[in-house]
Amino acid sequence: MNVFELMMEYIKEGRVKIDREKFAGKLATVHDPCNYGRKSEKTFGHGYYDEIRWITDQICDTWVDTYPTRENNFCCGAGGGAWAMPYTNERLYYGRKKAEQIADTGAEIVVAPCHNCRDQIMKGLTKDFDLDIETFYLWELLAESIIVEPWNEEEVEKAHKESEEQWERFGVELEDEDEWTPPE
Amino acid sequence: MSQEPIKLGKRESKLRVDPKWADVCLTCGTCAGGCPVTGVDGMDPRKAVRMAALGLDDELINSRFPWVCTLCGRCERACPMGVEILAMMRKARGLRERDKVPGPIHKGTMMSMERGNNLGIPYDDWLFLLADMSKEMEDEGFPGFYVPVDKVGARVISTVNSKEPFGEPDDMKFWWKIYYAAHESWTVSSENWEGVTWGLFGGDDESMKEQARRVLENGRKVKAEVLLLPE
Repeated sequence: MNVFELMMEYIKEGRVKIDREKFAGKLATVHDPCNYGRKSEKTFGHGYYDEIRWITDQICDTWVDTYPTRENNFCCGAGGGAWAMPYTNERLYYGRKKAEQIADTGAEIVVAPCHNCRDQIMKGLTKDFDLDIETFYLWELLAESIIVEPWNEEEVEKAHKESEEQWERFGVELEDEDEWTPPE
Repeated sequence: MSQEPIKLGKRESKLRVDPKWADVCLTCGTCAGGCPVTGVDGMDPRKAVRMAALGLDDELINSRFPWVCTLCGRCERACPMGVEILAMMRKARGLRERDKVPGPIHKGTMMSMERGNNLGIPYDDWLFLLADMSKEMEDEGFPGFYVPVDKVGARVISTVNSKEPFGEPDDMKFWWKIYYAAHESWTVSSENWEGVTWGLFGGDDESMKEQARRVLENGRKVKAEVLLLPE
């Protein structure tokens, strides 16, 4: 399963509740990662274009597409491992297309459903092309907008017991700050 | 000056490009027109296809172009003749001598094969980080939260992008918050938890298969129904 399917399952089944006030009044736009779009379409027969937009739509009141979009969208410029490669100038030159697309939407929020794309847009393009945007992972956008209800006592107790057993089994010991005494 | 003629043929081609591509490709330039790095090093996808069809395999393999290209596939998508430019580019990457693969892509792939993640995060550090951050989450308003490791019977098993525990550990909390709110039964692995397959980018099929095998094995061990690749 991929991230979209799991997030959609949680939203559709009501397992997470979204506070639509969180990003209210902010214009968003979405980026189509090559691997979830074109390449997934070629390899698996389905490109994940609608899913990105559906999830964004559950969270944001207003969002616009870039032009071109979906299967014709531009790569962020950091794909194929380019984020990690030494060709920084080429990577930023490549990204000018994405930067133009984003700037043209006038959006304040850019939703990037891929680690590479998020890094390129947030840490590369924003600064280099002087974009006035905030970049979010798609799951970050969801995590930031869900209403979290603390678990009940019974659940918490059960979890504490399980976690204690687990860390003991792995031999992980956290230093207890209360018991720490300074060396002589 | 005499020079050996270049033999053309699908068998001779290291890139497995049939010389017929010279006819299939109409040289219309649609690919080049839509590629953001057309012009870098005087190259473009159309020229790369021509080079391959004309037997200039080594010249293409040793050029920067297959690496400046991000394998985004926009060229191939637009090609009216269905030329498989993307597979050719990746093949060219795979044929680069391994010690000449740019950046950390190959080193990371080997690291992943040896230590189970691209950045070589040790087993003990990984577990300590998860235990420590679990406690942090509880203090931040998620009572009862902890990261289940190798939990048999979990519905969802998730891989991890090693850049997060390495450099941006707080970013792991986004998914953790979602799991918490959804009351999900989930887990991560103590070993071989890497979710980023650099073998894909380096053209290293064997390492890619091995990494996929390990991730699947982890999933089977805990009998998970859902394998999540948050990459």
